[in-house]
Amino acid sequence: MRLPPRRIQPGHTVMIKMPSGECRSIKFDGVGTISLGKFGSFPAAELVGQLYGLRYDIAEKTLKVIAPPSIEDVEDTDATNELIRDSSSIQEVTYQEIEQLKSAGVLPEEIINKQIESHASFALKTEYSKDKYKKRKQAKFLKHFSTIEPTIHNVCDYWFKKDQSRIRDIRPDALSQMMTLANVHPGGRYLVADDVSGLLIACMLERLGGEGRVMNICDVESPPVYHIVSYMNFEPQMVDNVLVSLNWATADEMHEPILAATEPMDGQKSSDGQRIRMQKRKLAESALFETREELFRGNFDGILIASQYEPYSVTERLIPYLAGSGSIVIHSPYIQVLTEAQSKMRADPKYLAPSIAQPWLRQYQILPGRTHPMMNTSGSGGFLLSATRM
Amino acid sequence: MWSVAPTVASGDTVILWLGRDIIQALVVTPGKVFNGRYGAFPHDALVGVLYGSKVFSQKERGFLYVLRPTPELWTLALPHRTQILYLADIAFVTSMLAVRPGSTVIEAGTGSGSFSHSVARTVGSKGHLFSFDFHQDRVDKARIEFLRHGLHQRITLAHRNVCKDGFGLLDRADAVFLDLPAPWEAVPHVKLALRSDISARVCCFSPCIEQVMRTVAALNENAFSEIQTYESLLFPQETYSNPAPPPVSQITNALKESEIKREQRRLRQISNAQLRKRKRDEDADDQNLKRPRLQDPAPSDPGSSSSVPQPVPDADPDHRAPADLPDNPPKIVVSKTIPEVRGHTSYLTFAILLPSEFRPRSHDATTLDTNIEQSATKQEQSVQ
Repeated sequence: MRLPPRRIQPGHTVMIKMPSGECRSIKFDGVGTISLGKFGSFPAAELVGQLYGLRYDIAEKTLKVIAPPSIEDVEDTDATNELIRDSSSIQEVTYQEIEQLKSAGVLPEEIINKQIESHASFALKTEYSKDKYKKRKQAKFLKHFSTIEPTIHNVCDYWFKKDQSRIRDIRPDALSQMMTLANVHPGGRYLVADDVSGLLIACMLERLGGEGRVMNICDVESPPVYHIVSYMNFEPQMVDNVLVSLNWATADEMHEPILAATEPMDGQKSSDGQRIRMQKRKLAESALFETREELFRGNFDGILIASQYEPYSVTERLIPYLAGSGSIVIHSPYIQVLTEAQSKMRADPKYLAPSIAQPWLRQYQILPGRTHPMMNTSGSGGFLLSATRM
Repeated sequence: MWSVAPTVASGDTVILWLGRDIIQALVVTPGKVFNGRYGAFPHDALVGVLYGSKVFSQKERGFLYVLRPTPELWTLALPHRTQILYLADIAFVTSMLAVRPGSTVIEAGTGSGSFSHSVARTVGSKGHLFSFDFHQDRVDKARIEFLRHGLHQRITLAHRNVCKDGFGLLDRADAVFLDLPAPWEAVPHVKLALRSDISARVCCFSPCIEQVMRTVAALNENAFSEIQTYESLLFPQETYSNPAPPPVSQITNALKESEIKREQRRLRQISNAQLRKRKRDEDADDQNLKRPRLQDPAPSDPGSSSSVPQPVPDADPDHRAPADLPDNPPKIVVSKTIPEVRGHTSYLTFAILLPSEFRPRSHDATTLDTNIEQSATKQEQSVQ
């Protein structure tokens, strides 16, 4: 089997990265004009059918694929910043002049060169410093952007940078560790409590590849829209037969769900509209009962939780439906929440070896003569509590 | 992969959990007996029990847990032939390489098969793993293991030095993982083995920064882009249920009390000494009545003197002296990172190879590429 290449299609949510590193997403319909603010605009049709992950130059309202930059060697010199003094007069090109050049259609590269020429102490800079200056200007002026391939890693990274609290601090490394700790595999059946806008569900759906079951227990009456799932641009078969939902009331065995009538009142004649409505209700009702039955039959392979509710109370509700030797994995932004749950699990023989770990991730800049860890790093990707059902 | 039945059957590979540090794999063979630290367990007693059960030893003195194998449990139980890859690294590599059901992945070397098991699980029955090792013995052992674990259809294993001979695969893999001493030597071969119609991915796993520098240079020369290096770790946390830390007022009061007691003791000693001296003097007076008497200011009862400090009464119940505290102070749950953690495993260097028309300008010689490509085409047959 050869996985099909991921290409941009109308209906997709397309993530885009700017030269500045800033990311945004567009609901792509393939028609009209896409505007990227100061970076320019282009007809949407140009992106239809394009491979994800390419870099483009916006030139005269059309797109041109350009190669990503490669690492250039920077020569080491004896220059230091000894004679460089900070002053506002160091750059002679003013903001107004730059704006004039831009509106006159001068190429970004030329504007950058002009700035370098009129920089009073550019020649005094070290080669490294010159390189950094150029890169900073490029990020500002180049009319470039890249599309981001919708892998679960990229989607998680996008949301972690955009709105960390919305996904409860699940950093991509933490998400991948959840999959590994829970032994998520195609054909497996999992119970999920996703309060992270569908990020956990999206990851499960990708790892199941259209085979198996993701049963999400939600805290609203009818299944919510899992916003982040749409960023994966899944084919329907990846989702349709895999994902089902219950809420915490309908997932309760002792609870009799109160349902709307599916038969017309005695003696009343029903209109076509009513009949269709009744038919829909019947289908929804039978689907609900099937899902409940499936939950209560149990024998699930794992429980994965990224929820705002107290974790032990969640696992206590779900563990009767977990097969022996099945995994329980809980993510939380707060270790205190997990330590409380862990101490309860320790006193409970159903849970084997509940353990807490903190994911840690660090990126490095690898450049000749300039290798070091990144100056800024993510402080927390949350904590993980995992245990095995006995 | 492994058995998915709810109960253990004869011939199943199971994981025996005797403790966090004592985890063993076992093929259930009726007639055999497992002798562990906690007693003797006949295999027959395991047949038919539910996975996840507690099983007692023959003499019912000890017990163990029977678990269904997972790649992670297998890694903890496996016979280590090489330094094994850790969970954090495996998880992060899988994520960054976008490995999913149906992916075709290449790994070199096979090592102890820890990464192989994990990737085979993730790619599923529709995906495939090509695994290479230059060590014949390791390949032989891994072959037996993959067969026993039902992975032989998902994994193609070959004894091969990929740095010298390449992978023998052309335009084939979605992702390549290199755990080799000199990954930069294999980079030109990786370029050929990766698919040319997608953004294909590579990861090089190296413990030393010097290796990373050379790998990055090789990736750059071979037109790879988005080169990124990471370190990924997991810090295990310990949890304790401890008495709540006492407020400092508690020890302040205790110290004040002991100060008073010390002063009382001192005064008592003085008074006792004076009493003894008076007695001696009186005895002497009896013998010599003409000696003048000393003035004696010492009180007869030191406790009654107003100059002696008294214990400070404390009305606040939270600030009681230790003597007043309940026998069981409230407990709180606390946690900390374990004293010694794995602080480094390896650097993970990732890069993307775009379809050839979109790649950055390559600095390398095209003739070399063509030679390698020709040999790869020839060898493709031999691997499959």
